[in-house]
This record gives sequence, structure tokens and C-alpha cells, in this order.
Amino acid sequence: MSTPVTTAAASAGSLVDEAEHGRTDHLAGARHDRRGRVRVDPIYYWFLVPTLVLFTLAITVPAVLGIFYSFTNFIGFGDWEFVGFTNYVAAFSDPAILASYGFTFGFAIVTVLLVNVIAFLLAVGLTAKIKLKAGLRAVFVIPMVISGIVIAYVFNFLFSNSVPALGSGLGIPWLSESILANPDLAWLSIVIVTAWQSIPATLLIYIAGLLSIPGEVYEAADIDGAGAVRRLWSVTLPLVSGYVVINMILGFKNYLNVYDVIVGLTNGGPGTSTRSIAMTIFTGFTGGDYAYQMANATIFFIIAVAISVLQLRITRGKAAI
Amino acid sequence: MPHPPISPSRHPNPAAGDRRMRGRLGIAGAVVLASGLALSGCSGAGSGTEDITFLLSKPEAVPYFQDLVAEFNGSQSEVRVTLDSASNLSAGFLRGNPPDVGLLNYNYEMARFMERGALSDLSDMPEADRIRPDVQELVDQYATYPGRTSVLPYSVAAASVIYNVQMFEENGIEVPTTWDELIAACDTLEAAGITPIYGTYKDAWTVAQGLFDYSVGGTTDVPEFLAALEEEGTEVGPDSPVSFQKTILDPVLQMEELAAYSNADAASRGYGDGNVAFANGEAAMYLQGPWALGEIAKTSPDLELGTFPLPMTNDPDDLKVRVNLDLALWVPEASNSKEAARTFVSYLMQQDVMDAYNAAFLGFGTTTDAAPVTDERILGMQEYYDAGEFYQGLSRSIPLTIPIDNYIQAMVTGADIPATLATIDADWARLALRG
Repeated sequence: MSTPVTTAAASAGSLVDEAEHGRTDHLAGARHDRRGRVRVDPIYYWFLVPTLVLFTLAITVPAVLGIFYSFTNFIGFGDWEFVGFTNYVAAFSDPAILASYGFTFGFAIVTVLLVNVIAFLLAVGLTAKIKLKAGLRAVFVIPMVISGIVIAYVFNFLFSNSVPALGSGLGIPWLSESILANPDLAWLSIVIVTAWQSIPATLLIYIAGLLSIPGEVYEAADIDGAGAVRRLWSVTLPLVSGYVVINMILGFKNYLNVYDVIVGLTNGGPGTSTRSIAMTIFTGFTGGDYAYQMANATIFFIIAVAISVLQLRITRGKAAI
Repeated sequence: MPHPPISPSRHPNPAAGDRRMRGRLGIAGAVVLASGLALSGCSGAGSGTEDITFLLSKPEAVPYFQDLVAEFNGSQSEVRVTLDSASNLSAGFLRGNPPDVGLLNYNYEMARFMERGALSDLSDMPEADRIRPDVQELVDQYATYPGRTSVLPYSVAAASVIYNVQMFEENGIEVPTTWDELIAACDTLEAAGITPIYGTYKDAWTVAQGLFDYSVGGTTDVPEFLAALEEEGTEVGPDSPVSFQKTILDPVLQMEELAAYSNADAASRGYGDGNVAFANGEAAMYLQGPWALGEIAKTSPDLELGTFPLPMTNDPDDLKVRVNLDLALWVPEASNSKEAARTFVSYLMQQDVMDAYNAAFLGFGTTTDAAPVTDERILGMQEYYDAGEFYQGLSRSIPLTIPIDNYIQAMVTGADIPATLATIDADWARLALRG
């Protein structure tokens, strides 16, 4: 029985390949001159200029300046001098910074898993032939349009007041204490709120992925006698693997930047149990520790670049969408 | 009319509405200014008018100072002041165009500018001599610049224990002046089914400025402690003669003892919750500054409240109140209109102008001839303030790089106290190494 299913999957794979070839064949806007060289209309370059200028001024220049200052003792204004790698050495031995990396990565891993499992299952449900499909999809996407800080403050109220009230009303002791006040569990509240906020975007990508699977593949699987679980595992999952990878990596990179949800929920507390990397970096601006936190930001940037390179490698391979 | 642009804030501002509000204030300011101009127009202004900008940090005082500025602009034609309550201070200094006059909360962050000589010397102004020396000294506790008086304290906020007068009277409790009396009062209240102290640990700053600062300030000479820490620098740790884990261990343990008299849900209550709860009589004592009094009055305008310094020893002579320089005046070195700026500083420093401000905003005067406070709610702190029995909170005198509020929050919610204090020591030493 296993062979026919594999064939179905393989044929779907070749469909994807064909679509890709079709796409790469002809670049938009490219024309061939008499000798067959590709000649691009200069207007396309002009389209890029405004963005390029803005990007350079607003992102590249500040980033380069920031990296430059990470080798100084600049505090945001006034005189400064070069201090070499002092900031970097100090950052690597700073328990507060190390703890923020530990927290942020742990948080990002847990959140990315939770978000993808829930979003995938929801997407499978929402692409099946169920009633109220359009209405349900709209409902599930609502969290996406609310600002993170607003969501965080609403949940802050729920966690501090409503949930404990419910807990003590039902006589459940562990529920009657605010999760935000518990240094060991406060991080879970941030996972929950971040997941609630970011599931819709992930869900949409999965829905797009699931809809791109041609019906014939399922027909073939049906004919081969595959059940629902088998279809999900051996047909659906391999065919959306590209979407899974994209969602995982984009999500992970996003969660590493976690900031506003924490500000709205715990502000890094209780104690220092939920201080993320972004929050630590930001103290550099308010605390006159500009250069030092620029070094921290540079380290963080290098990590983000490494993850991006990894993402490119993987998505260029078998998992291209 | 040169109007400083609202600087783009780099930080993902949680209060997005804030900027819109500032924009509206800006318009209001322009209207006030325009009316001021109309007035001065009659007296034949035009030639030789010098425009200066005036930065104010206290949002609730903006309408008050708008009126003052309009009055000043109307009273003479040499200087025209534009009130600005929105510009980013660091960005202004960084660009080299700071405001010409600043009236801001004076704190550790502000001290950075002074320390690097960014603020001009005002010591030759007659107003500088009117400042109480012990209040002027508060400025120097953060940082100094040799040979300069760069900052003139304008208003002091004194903070101590706010108490519910009726609850104290009904339970036969006198205002405690010793630690033992305080504990006895707490026990009496608890026996009567009243929560002695309302805690709002969810907002870490409330614990830092209240329980922590009062506990440490009531037993320890804060400026001396800070100076010694500064001296030790990288040596601060378990073996140094002065350290957080050694010097303030006892007061922090006392703080823990007091914290036990708080409401059971203190860890999940915030500042706003606390104001409402205290206004509704849910506790007898509340460790907050005068800023909370206005908030409490919104819920219970007629609640009778008083204040007393938190007794941390058994000697009534040790009683002290916590103060901070709520507003202080300065003129940047980089200002192009220093003379005009000084004219406005003199205007603001007139005794009746200062007294009127302090009366309106529950502040204490900073000059030797300042009027005493009259508000019942803060009257209890006057004698200590007059006698110079005050200190600036330790939590506000520590480099912002050290997340002291978070550490304090951890200690009050059950973290190991000696270990947390040792962590602060390690942070201090590490910072000294980099500094």
C-alpha cells in the first residue's frame, strides 16, 4: 500500500517543480536584444531608487553607526573614545545579558512550536469542507489586526484580575494566583499572548499552502485507500513542508525580537525573569549605556543574520514554495 | 517662529496616544502664545525680541505653565518664550540645540548632562543664593561639575507613608514614631481585620520608591553609602567594607517583614489598582508619594489622609522623609540666548510664583523664604523637611543599567534577599569595570 501513496506524493512534487521552472524561465520586464542578451528597461532601476535611498538612510547608516559606536564608550552624547572589544568582552560575561539570551531563545522555541502546531491544525480544519468556513476564518484572523501592546494590556487585566477571580470562584488554588506574579510561570503568559497574536498570520500561510495542494493528489490517495491520518501525514505534510519551514523560521526570528508584549504584561518581571534581549538593548538608550548595548545589539544582529542564512539555505533546497 | 520638531522616538512607544496628546498640547501652547503675542503687540514689540524655548517635563503641570508663559510674554517685549513639553531631551543635546530653559525632574539620567558640562553656570544669579543649601546639595549627590551651580532646584516632592486618618483613630492608633510602634500598629490593624499596608508589587517602581527607599533611607545614610560604593568601584562584593549585601541587608530584611503586612494579592496589583483600593478604604497605609494623592482624590475626594515618615529604628530622632527634585531649572551651555533664558529663570524663581506652583502641586519650596505647605495631607512632612531630615531614594540613585526595580520586586515577592543583593553588587562592580 505504501508504494502508491509515495507515487502520489512524488507526482505532487513534480507539479511543484514544473511550476517553479515555469516561473524562473521568464523574468518580468526583461527583453532580449538582437544578440540575445537580456536588456532591462532602466525604469525598473528607477523604481528601486527611492526605497534604496530611504533604506540606506533609515536603516543601513544607523546600523553601521551603531556598530561603530559599539567599539567606543559613547553614552549618547558628548565625548567618547575607542575602547576596542571591551564592550563585547563585558557583554559575554554579563549574567543579565546571558540570562536575556537564555530567556529569549527558550521563549522563541516554545512559542514557534506552539504557534505552528495550533495554526496548522486550525488550517487543516478551516480548509476542510465545513460550514461557516468564511466566517470562522474571519474570526480567527482578528487578533492579527490588533496592536501587540493593546493585546498585552488586555491580557494583563485578564491574568491579574479575571483569571484569579475565576480560580478562586471555582476553588482552584493554582488558578487563583496571578500567573504574572509568579517568577517561574510568568514567561508562559508571554508565550500565550504572543501565540494568540501571531497564530493568524501563520494560519493564513498554512491555508494558502493547503489550498495549493491539487485535489488529484488526494483523489489518488483515496483510491489507494489512505485514511484521514495517513493522508495528513503522508500527503498533506510533505506537500506543505515548504510552508512549515517558512513559518518556523520567520516566526522564530520574530519571536527573538519580543518586546511590546513583555512591556504590556510583565515589564521584564517579576524580578528579571522575563527580560528579553530587545528589552536589555533598550536600556542602553535610557540608561546612558549606549555603546555597551550597541555591542549587545551587534551580537544579536550577527545571530539574526546567521538564522537568515540558514533560512535561505533550507528554503533554496527542497522546501522552496 | 522656530519651533523644535517633535523628535522621532526610537522606542516602540507603549503610549501611542501620548504623542497625539502632546500634539494637541502643542496647539494649545501655540494658541496661548498667540494670545500672549497679541498682548505684547500693543506695547510695540517687534524689534529685538528674543525667542527662547522652555522645556517642561511634568505633563500635569503643562496648562499651569502655559498660563505663566503667556503672562510672562505679555508682561515684557524683550523675551518671547515658547513652551515645549514634547521634545526628546537627549536628542536635543545630541544635535546641539537643547531647549534654552529646562524645568525638569532632576534625576540620575539628567545628571549625565550636568556631569559633562552641558549645563551653564548659574551661581552668579541672585536666585541661586536663595536656594536652601541642603536642598542644593541634593543636586550634587548625583553628579557635580567643578565650580558650577548648573541646576536650581525648583520644587521638591516629599514622600512618606500615606495613612487613612479615620482608620487610625477608630483603632486607637497614634502615628508611629518607632519601628516597634509601627509593627504594633500593623498588628492592631490586622487584628481588627484591616489590611495594614496596600502593596502594588506588579509595578516594580512602586515598591522601589516606597517600601525599599523608605526602608533603606530610614536607616542608612544614602549619599554616604553611594559615595563609598563609588569609591570601591570594581571592588564592591562580599569582601568589600561597603556593599549592598552588607550595608543594606538589615533594612531590606525589615522591608520583607513589613511587606508581610500587605494585601494577599499585592503581587498582582498595580499602581492604578492601589490608588483605587486605598481610596476605597481597603487598607490603612499606602507607601506612595504626593503624586498618588491626586489620584486617590479622584475616587474619594473627601477621604481624610495624612503622612508620616516610615520609622525604621526605635529612635524617633532617626525619622526622615524621602524627597526628590520634582522640578529643577537649568540653562544649557549650548543655548544661544542665555541672557534671555536667565531673564525667564528669574521670572520663574520669584517667590510668589514658586509658592503658587508648590501650593497647586503639593510640592515643598526649595528656597530659604519659601511658604510652608498648607495641605493637610502633606503637612505631616513639613517639620522633617524644614529640619533637613530627608534623603533621596537609593533606588533612584543607581545607574539605570542595573535593573534595580526588578531586583527589588523579586526580593519583595520572595526571592532570596542576600543572593539578590549580591547580584546587585556584582552588577555594580561590572559596571565600574566598564565605566
